[in-house]
Amino acid sequence: MPTYLTPDQLQARNRRSLWIALGLVGFIVLIFLTTFLRMQSNLAERKAMAATAAEATR
Amino acid sequence: MTQADAPALSTTQPEDFFQLLKPRVMSLVIFTAATGLVVAGADINPLVAAIAILCIAVGAGAAGALNMALEGETDALMRRTRGRPVAAGRLKSNDALTFGVVLSIFSVTLLGMNTNWTAAGLLGLTIVYYAVFYTLMLKRRTPQNIVIGGAAGAFPPVIGWAAATGEAPWQAWLLFLIIFLWTPPHSWALALYSTGDYAKAGIPMMPVARGAKSTRLQILIYSLVFVPVAIAPGLTGLGGPVYLAVSGLGGLLFLALAFRLWRSRAGDQPDGIGKSGAEVVGREAALYDVRAEAKPARNLFAFSILYLMALFAALLVERFASFGAA
Repeated sequence: MPTYLTPDQLQARNRRSLWIALGLVGFIVLIFLTTFLRMQSNLAERKAMAATAAEATR
Repeated sequence: MTQADAPALSTTQPEDFFQLLKPRVMSLVIFTAATGLVVAGADINPLVAAIAILCIAVGAGAAGALNMALEGETDALMRRTRGRPVAAGRLKSNDALTFGVVLSIFSVTLLGMNTNWTAAGLLGLTIVYYAVFYTLMLKRRTPQNIVIGGAAGAFPPVIGWAAATGEAPWQAWLLFLIIFLWTPPHSWALALYSTGDYAKAGIPMMPVARGAKSTRLQILIYSLVFVPVAIAPGLTGLGGPVYLAVSGLGGLLFLALAFRLWRSRAGDQPDGIGKSGAEVVGREAALYDVRAEAKPARNLFAFSILYLMALFAALLVERFASFGAA
């Protein structure tokens, strides 16, 4: 059975959908950035540890 | 099915969801959390710091959404809060509840992934403390609601500090203590000229439960405890001379305003009105007639916001100045 929406309901739903989409995209971008930054700092940490170990064995 | 028979679908706008986050409270949270994060002095990637502040702000907003979802009926009874989305009927409380829970999970998880789980745990604790402990358990049961519940608003600088360092040392808890002790004089000053609203909603705020005279005295006592604590960072090395000057001079003004409020008749009921909430509600219009006398309460309320902002701004300025010098 079809559901009829008033123009107000339709407009409100479209706007909510748009903001949900933007929110999800934003969240995904933040997760991506967080992962990237974490990997970057872990790599730097590993490099520093390797350098310290090399210094100690020399 | 005709258009007229169609089920009532929501016309809730995205702005209503944004209002659930209590944007003004969020701005104060951002400010104090950012101060904690910067003052911690750790070497933190600016992007990590920005995401951490965003998470703390969204977490605080989520707590606000949960509060509004649970308090819709009470909010509808008070002039200050009756325009809120749930109270005004623009948004269903279940939708607000879902929104708050989803944002809580997202913000805590992201903060944990982005910085550390100490900060994330503190953020989660703050949300639960505000939404469950304060809103559901304390607010309607004791006139000390704002004293104990004020801890929720005091956590952001500690979370910011923990986000930067992974720890919450005593300096971070000193910032916590400043906001914690600031909350009662600030909130009770507001309550002194909103007594009718709180009585109508059945919330035992101090002026409703113990009367205006007792509230004014407690504001003065709390102010006498608060101001030395506010000055303490200047004496312990957390703040420098700018902080000491701002906290000292501002503190003196704060005490002067609290003293004037104590001597005033702010919040007193007009002659002939008893102390029970029902009588207050019945003579609400007459109660608001004393508004000229409530001016000292409004002065302290307004200055308390300025003073807190100035304290944290001074800490920020000094820290940035020391970065510049280095």
